[in-house]
Amino acid sequence: MGRIATASSHTPVNLRADEVFRRLIDSVREYAILVVDPDGQIASWNFGAERLYGYKSEEVIGKPFNILYTEADLKAHKPAHELEIAARTGHFENEGWRVRKGGSRFSANVITTRLTDDAGNLIGFGEVTRDLTEHRQSELRYRLLVEGVMDYAIFSMDPTGHITSWNVGAERIKGYAADEIIGRHFSAFYTPEDRAKGLPEHVLETAKSRGHFEGEGWRVRKDGSRFWASVVVTALRDDEGGLYGFSKVTRDMTDRKRLLDELQRHAEELELRIAEREESNAELEAFAYSVSHDLRAPLRAVTGFTEALAEDYAGSFDKRGREYLNDITSAAARMSLLVQDLLEYGRVSRVSIPLETVSVLKAVEDAAKEVSKEARERLTLTIAPDLVVVAHGRVLTQIISNLLSNAFKFQAKDVVPDVRVFAASLDSVVRISIADNGIGIAPEHQERIWNIFERLHDRDAYAGTGIGLAIVKRAVTRLRGTYGVDSEVGKGSTFWLELPRAQQAETRNYA
Amino acid sequence: MPEAPVLLVEDDPADVRLIQRAFGKLPDMIKVIRLTNGDEAVSYLAGDAPYENRGTHPMPRVVLLDIKLPRRSGFEVLEWLRRQTTAIKRLPVVMLTSSRHSVDINRAYDLGANSYLTKPDTASQLEDLALRFQEYWLSLNELPDLHTGPTAKAPR
Repeated sequence: MGRIATASSHTPVNLRADEVFRRLIDSVREYAILVVDPDGQIASWNFGAERLYGYKSEEVIGKPFNILYTEADLKAHKPAHELEIAARTGHFENEGWRVRKGGSRFSANVITTRLTDDAGNLIGFGEVTRDLTEHRQSELRYRLLVEGVMDYAIFSMDPTGHITSWNVGAERIKGYAADEIIGRHFSAFYTPEDRAKGLPEHVLETAKSRGHFEGEGWRVRKDGSRFWASVVVTALRDDEGGLYGFSKVTRDMTDRKRLLDELQRHAEELELRIAEREESNAELEAFAYSVSHDLRAPLRAVTGFTEALAEDYAGSFDKRGREYLNDITSAAARMSLLVQDLLEYGRVSRVSIPLETVSVLKAVEDAAKEVSKEARERLTLTIAPDLVVVAHGRVLTQIISNLLSNAFKFQAKDVVPDVRVFAASLDSVVRISIADNGIGIAPEHQERIWNIFERLHDRDAYAGTGIGLAIVKRAVTRLRGTYGVDSEVGKGSTFWLELPRAQQAETRNYA
Repeated sequence: MPEAPVLLVEDDPADVRLIQRAFGKLPDMIKVIRLTNGDEAVSYLAGDAPYENRGTHPMPRVVLLDIKLPRRSGFEVLEWLRRQTTAIKRLPVVMLTSSRHSVDINRAYDLGANSYLTKPDTASQLEDLALRFQEYWLSLNELPDLHTGPTAKAPR
């Protein structure tokens, strides 16, 4: 690496002491050492100066040394000033900017020393420059940092994978003290299976060819226990690109791995349950289908033949006989209604309900079409036409229809029904209310009425299956809404539901 | 040549009786041939044994077809019929079933049903249905020629 011609001096033994000294100066890499003559021109230039400033010696020898200064320093006449002090006092130390070839600057510590001959005459100045820039300092800081990091195992290896440095994190995670492991091959951290597969070699090869290797896997601690490691191996190369080792950063991810595995297990379990549920949904579907098909057929027969009897054999029945026929017919009709309501209840619970923007007025008007003509005359709708909710049109109509049917049904005998439907926007929801002047519901019953098959009255007083409100409850819940009732016995009931308000802009389709 | 009959494919004997009763109450007599499963329906329409004699087993004007049938479902009968290359594939088919499922309704039309009726709950409604069926399908509606043929060469 010597930069001076040594052709004439193959034998170091013969070198003179000053020659050895010269070689030393020349070969120092970390410091720029240069000699400036009394006129401020560069007279000699070592290898460190070449590295630091970027000039080859032949480029700068004979040039004024102030090319190494910044514009501002030049204006302040710093170069001359510094030489002057050095000349006077023998020594000047300073920290400041220096300029490299190409104009980039670096922070430098410079010691300027007066050089005199034996007679005391000034023959020049020696300048020793140390680079203080970030990366040099940071190297030190980095080492301190690395050594102190607890959460990561950070260590370095030579090009063959033998460990050359070891931080406290590595000691903590892998269990080896530095003096136990330095010098050993890093494959010690791998499981026998991974070693057999050649994983350590693969890691180094990958880092060598791609610059780095990243991966996760089980690794082995000193005590033989395993941990889940997240690993980054980086190839370390010098300025010329020669590989001089690897750095390896390992993190213990066992806890996270366990968490992820747990999550995975949960996800799988959930999927299994969903699959089971889908299966049971399909079974329900088949059941409902069979109910609608098979259960209705005998009902139709009962109803049909009873009617046929009453019609075709009218003369054969006395009054009581005809009453019996009536009883059969109305029982069959009730059963038919039950089947119908149960199917509806099942459908509302089961079928997927895609949510869309629905006009409240349209849904209520559709429901109103299903009540009798006389009832419709007793019905008042107060709903803004532009009011829209996030719901499902047919399901919302079904809900309103059930509530309307109840509103007209549960009326005292001598009262003219007065049913009002109104809707209002409250913040992010729309509340739809169905108010009647009916018999009302005592407070102690206001919870129960939502349960399936729950009835407050005997059938003679008010017909019904006890499924209507259960359908409402299910349907509103499926629409992600809320529901309730305000009621006072003898005064009437107001059933209400609240649904998310939709964006007004989407109303055009329904206008 | 006497009026061609209506072919009723229905397995439920109660439904058959109620339907026949309803047809019996119509002002004009309609001849109804009743078969109880899908296989029989296909054999009958194909003229296979024991239905090869068209004198005693005449080609129907319209088929009243239930969906849920033993052996071969109404859908399979319909599918078979529309797949034929002779003129019988034109035969009008009216589904008469208890299913109100949109899946069933759509499938029936997809397979080429001409009409879809559901069985009513009461005898009087059934009488009404029989009357309208007669008025529309047997009187108002123009029926296709099931003998001469082939638009069979027409694209399938």
